[in-house]
Amino acid sequence: MSSVAISEPVIDELRAIVGPTYVLTSKTARYNRTRVPAPFPVHRWSEFLPDIVVLPETTEQVSEVVKLANRLKIPVVPRAGGTGLADGAVPLRGGILVDIKRMDKILEIDLDNRTVTLQPGINMLKLNEEILKYGVFYPDDPASYPCSLVGGRIGTSGFSLIAGRYGHTRDLVISMQVVLPTGEIIEVGDGGGRKIRKSSTGFHLKHLFMGHQGTLGICTEATLELVPRPEAEFAAFFGYKDFESAYRSTGALTKSGLATLASVVLFDERKIQYLRRDDEAYIPQPRNLKSVIAVSMYGAVDEVKPAGRRLMQIAKDTGGKYLGDEVSQGDWASRHDRYATPLHGRLLDRRVVPMCWHCEDASINYSNIPNVMREWHEIADRYIKKYGIFDDWGCFFYTNAAYKPWGDYLSEIDIGIWEQKLNDKTWKAWVNCKREITEVTLKYNGSITACHGSTREGDAEYVPEEMGGGFEVMKRIKRVLDPNNIMNPGKNMLDNAYEED
Amino acid sequence: MFGFQLKGQRPPKPRRVKEGVVMRFDHVYEIDPDRMSIIKQQEMPVWDTQRIIANRWEHLSWMHNHFADSVISGEELEKEIEESKKKIRTTKKSTSRRKKR
Repeated sequence: MSSVAISEPVIDELRAIVGPTYVLTSKTARYNRTRVPAPFPVHRWSEFLPDIVVLPETTEQVSEVVKLANRLKIPVVPRAGGTGLADGAVPLRGGILVDIKRMDKILEIDLDNRTVTLQPGINMLKLNEEILKYGVFYPDDPASYPCSLVGGRIGTSGFSLIAGRYGHTRDLVISMQVVLPTGEIIEVGDGGGRKIRKSSTGFHLKHLFMGHQGTLGICTEATLELVPRPEAEFAAFFGYKDFESAYRSTGALTKSGLATLASVVLFDERKIQYLRRDDEAYIPQPRNLKSVIAVSMYGAVDEVKPAGRRLMQIAKDTGGKYLGDEVSQGDWASRHDRYATPLHGRLLDRRVVPMCWHCEDASINYSNIPNVMREWHEIADRYIKKYGIFDDWGCFFYTNAAYKPWGDYLSEIDIGIWEQKLNDKTWKAWVNCKREITEVTLKYNGSITACHGSTREGDAEYVPEEMGGGFEVMKRIKRVLDPNNIMNPGKNMLDNAYEED
Repeated sequence: MFGFQLKGQRPPKPRRVKEGVVMRFDHVYEIDPDRMSIIKQQEMPVWDTQRIIANRWEHLSWMHNHFADSVISGEELEKEIEESKKKIRTTKKSTSRRKKR
């Protein structure tokens, strides 16, 4: 709960700002806005409840809510779709939860300059349905595409599945309007100019407000890039006799230099073992298939078709066997919507239990992938054997850099956790497992997170180590912008910024 | 008749297709019921299974249409690659024959 009790007069003030209907105090409203789909200590759910929920509709309302919170030193946690897997939207100190789902209006579509300006509560799928008639597309494509919101993508600096071709959220947001922790409203971009993509004026403040996890303010409007709607999609899945061949083939495919290449995903042998258990695409695959690569391409037909032929040849020359259109097209289409997958795992005796999903999302350089993968699996195996409530769902390695998809990879080890069995002892065990995984990432000069943010337990403690001297700068920025530490307190170890007081 | 009656749409007995996997309908895989002792398997009528499978394909097809105007087939590209290789081989053969003459 927050350090300052939210009294009836404060609730009245909030009602006056956003309207009485949009101030929620019920248990249901607060419990539903507590956790995200990542592993969560369910036995301690009530420790993470917000005190109150508000649903503003305008920038001015957000500003007034934040001003009130700053005056009374009440924590504020912004929440969009709540689909991030690193607890960014989980309140750690109670307070006011600002749910932005009513801020879902498209404000301007500028086809001459290829931008759309909107409020951040809109979902990308809905946005693309609206702009389809203009022949344009907003290509930010997370695995939560049908349910995550633009604001959350900005708050986490999200990863897009097709960024090799189109860039990630940070590359697709041209500028934005932000309410600072003191309630001031500012515009940030590369420099000035709401629709200017490249500027050398001043500091590049846009990047400061990408991925701050609500610790520096709340985005209330954004101007986004529009690209021509793709004429053609090409997805191809290739099977390999072992991981080593697939790993080498991944290097060859990503370094092909083909501009329409949107992604290359490498599945390790443990991932294939996991998929063989109950994924309809993999159950019938022959035993000698041990590793898989998935590639996707987007663009004009005249570009994608010849480039697709070239990719097929590279894959074949490096030991890949095309798995057919049904697997390739079906599996690729399902990757835009992984949150619809009902999750379950296996105990050591192979019985099925419901499990939640831990998505490790480190950035690892190509040359370090084999070592990191081996060490992660060793850690997972130890904890599975000792506690019997975890399950190793294998590793993915996903091209990470925008437009230059060859040097580093979003590296996942997916671990299932039988959440119903969590208690203080097993939760502590899980966090220790997570810490060991993170230590391997840092040992190989990787980054803790490519995708969801460094705000969950087991990651956050390592932010100072990864950032080095930069962490001191982070703390100073936090203190200057948020003098009372009201914005999403407890995240990213930024409470340290106030310790000198 | 109103309402649903399971007995009218009871699925066929499952057959084991591999370790841990059974099948009642072609291409519709299920986990071996022996492994579903903690979470019980739901009894589903045939029409409901068919509805879920059909919706799944509809959803995937919708996704393709949402992201691009057309989908290029890898199988067709493979054929094109093979055909162009054949063509090159044939051209090479006829060129070498001409040279011999």
